[in-house]
Order: sequence, then C-alpha cells, then structure tokens
Amino acid sequence: MGKKARRKRIHQQAVWPRVTNFEEREEVLSFWEERFGIPKETFAPYLLLSTAKNYWLFAKPPDLRALQGLRVQTVGLLFTRKVSRWLKPTSTALQRFGHLATKNIVDLEPHALDRLRRERKIPYETDLSEGYVIIRCQGKVWGCGLYTPGKLISYLP
Amino acid sequence: MVPKQKMLNLAEAPAYFERYRDIIPRFEEFLEHLKKPLPLYFRLNELKCPDPELVLQGLRRQGAQAEPVPQMPLFYKVEPRTFPLGNTEEYYLGYIYPMTLNSSLPVLALEPQPGELILDMCAAPGSKTTQIAQLTKDQAIIVANDRRLDRLTALVANLKRLGVACALTTLYRGEEFPFGIPFDKVLVDAPCSGEGRYRQGYEGELMYQKEGRTNLPALQKGLLVRAFDLVRVGGIVVYSTCTINPDENECVVDYLLRKRQGRLLSCEYPQPHHPGLTEWEGRPLHPDLVRAARFFPHETDSVGFFVAKIERLV
Repeated sequence: MGKKARRKRIHQQAVWPRVTNFEEREEVLSFWEERFGIPKETFAPYLLLSTAKNYWLFAKPPDLRALQGLRVQTVGLLFTRKVSRWLKPTSTALQRFGHLATKNIVDLEPHALDRLRRERKIPYETDLSEGYVIIRCQGKVWGCGLYTPGKLISYLP
Repeated sequence: MVPKQKMLNLAEAPAYFERYRDIIPRFEEFLEHLKKPLPLYFRLNELKCPDPELVLQGLRRQGAQAEPVPQMPLFYKVEPRTFPLGNTEEYYLGYIYPMTLNSSLPVLALEPQPGELILDMCAAPGSKTTQIAQLTKDQAIIVANDRRLDRLTALVANLKRLGVACALTTLYRGEEFPFGIPFDKVLVDAPCSGEGRYRQGYEGELMYQKEGRTNLPALQKGLLVRAFDLVRVGGIVVYSTCTINPDENECVVDYLLRKRQGRLLSCEYPQPHHPGLTEWEGRPLHPDLVRAARFFPHETDSVGFFVAKIERLV
C-alpha cells in the first residue's frame, strides 16, 4: 500500500482574526524595523490581524465589517508568530518583504544553503547579533533562520 | 477548472469537434493543431521578484531559456517545453506561476484596480487570483472562493507561495455565495468541459457531458446569475470558460441577459480573437454577444477560451 501524502488541512470553521490595536501593531512593526531595518511605513497599506499565536497582513478594505460576515478559511499573509515572549518573522513574509531589509541578513553560498536545509543546523560564525536572521542566497531571500553564537538554525519551510 | 472524467482519444477528435465545424475558423487547421503540444509559459510574480533577471539567470543555470512574450507583459515562454518548472527554486520561492497565455485574458478583461472589492468565485488553484493581486500591487481586496476543500488547499498554498496579502479565502458553493458585500467586480471562471485544453499528449481531459452526471450549463447559469446579483449596480462581471461549446458560453450569457438587466462590454485583448456567436444551432442569441470574445487554440497557440465582460445596469 502506498504511503498517503501528508497535507495540512484547512480548518473548516476558521473564524475572523481580530484587528490589532495601535500598541500591538507598533510592537510588531517596530520589531521588523529594529531587527531588519524594514520601515514601518512599508506596511501602511495593510491591516495587522491577530489570531491566538499569529499575526497576519491583510490589505485594508474600504469596509471591513461587510467582509466579517463571511465564513473565512484564511485571511491575508502569515506575517509574524508569537513564540513564547518573542516575535518570530515567518519565512513567507520574509520572502515577500525581505528584499527591503538592511541588516541581520545571512548570505550563504548554494552549498551552505543546501546543507542548512538538509541538516537544519550548521556551524556558523558571524558578528551579527543573536536572534532571527534573513537567509539569502545569490540574491534570493529564502526565509527565516536563527543565529546563536557559532550556530545557524533553519526555520525554512 | 476542468473536472476529470474521461480521456478523448486523438482519433476521436474529428468526430467530437465536427459539431463546431462552422464556428471554428479553418477547421482542418484546428484539427491538425491538436496534434501539437502546448508551449510552456510562466508569469513572473513581481510581488516577490522585482528583478526578472534573477529568474532568467536561475533558469539558464538549470538548462532552460525563457523569453518575454511580446504584448503580454510579465509572461515568458520557456524552452524546452518539457522543462520541469515546478521543480525549480524559482517556483518554490514563488517568483513564477506556470500559466497558459489565454488563461490570463479573463483578468485582463476584468481590469482590476487597487482598492476594488473583487470576488473570484471559482478561484482554485489560484492562477487568476494571484494575477489580480499582482496587477493591483496587492491592493485590491480579493475574496477567493471555491466550493471544494481540497482545491481550496491548493489555492491557499499558491497564495502563500506567491506572497499575496490582499486575499481571503472562503468555501461556499458559488451559486449560494452570501449577499451583503457590494463587490465592484466578480470573476466567474466557470467549471467547464475543457474542450479548449485538448491537445495530444497534454491534459486531454474532456468531460463528456452525455456520459457525465453534471449538467454544466445549468451549473454555469446558476453561477453567473449569482455573480451578477452579487456585484453592485454599475459593477462588472467577467464570465469565462476554457471550452468551445456555445451551450456553456454564449447560451449561458444569453440566459443571464434574458433574466437580468446587463450589457456586454467590448475589450481589447493582446491575442487574436473572434466575436461571440449571436446564433447557435438555429437559435438566435442576444445581439450583445458579438462583444464577447472567442480565442481558438490554433490561432493563439494556447488553450481555447471564451470571455464575456458584463456590466450590471440595474
């Protein structure tokens, strides 16, 4: 018997995420600005929505209330996760906005990227500060990694 | 959207398409063209890849050449045709979306603008939803709907892959999509028999209506009428299929125009096309249908398509 393909299922009764208030939005966008140098204004055309553990970007609709009557499956782009007390950028969002970043970028050669994707953790030395980094290879943003002294950990999908 | 049911053998094609002899220009040339495989194209996703050279260089390294298609911005033709685009990192990173040229035409007819509220009624797997997002710089509000959960999963994966933030997804039967949202535009890329996709060695999944259980024209009429009722007065509905069958094209639009007050609008297209039919098998159809467009595989070297742009008057 063949192996059944694993596929993430969509929640049949997903509910509308809530719109974040000013303070929460500032906190999330400040993290992106401080960690990666991506200005907050980049996200001005978007609403920041929140579910239990995630933040989502969604284009600002003229009338959100009308849309909130819909039984939705997903809304917008998964932007940032809440991991314990920390914020973690998603690879999806970094692939979309990472080209605007000015700092905390790790440029890897193709063989190093291959190894990171395969082994999930590789020895790595850099003078970047500890924390989440953008993994880039030959000009292409691949997503999120975590740099701790001497180690690079992959959060690539 | 082409449901799978039964393959059409190439030897059966002349008999199958004979019914359309009078509406397909240069019919023999059309039959001969079915033996040719479909060329390979992709759409460049500017939302994620502002520099085309990044993609073109990457593909060259992997042994493929991509050339821009004249008059079809963001579309590239790939050689060799058998190149596995879906296995490339450019695909994985969402820089490209493999897509036939004519599949892009309904969205060109829709002319989506930033800030508009748009319903893509039969959206999966998302080629047109992502094209709308791209044309509006991720600043339209797109409700991407599909009735099947498995197909919606593919749609969600493509929205994520292409980095689209302006879409939400819903799982309704199109003909029962709830009222209450004043959509500016609705795209109905309806489920169809897929006759326009038929090629030797490529898909060839023609759904035989006689043997199938689905009454496609009835389904299409239900979808189109609902789409019309959902769009605001003065708003636009674009109806499209990838079939040649007038029963699924002009007859469906004719049904709408007899039930509701709308008018067809003419469009400029970058591909050669013919006006819609105003008569089929002896039955006169609404004269406005001359403004619909038929695209034939042998004239466009792509999938056969039908597109009608309708304005809601009342």
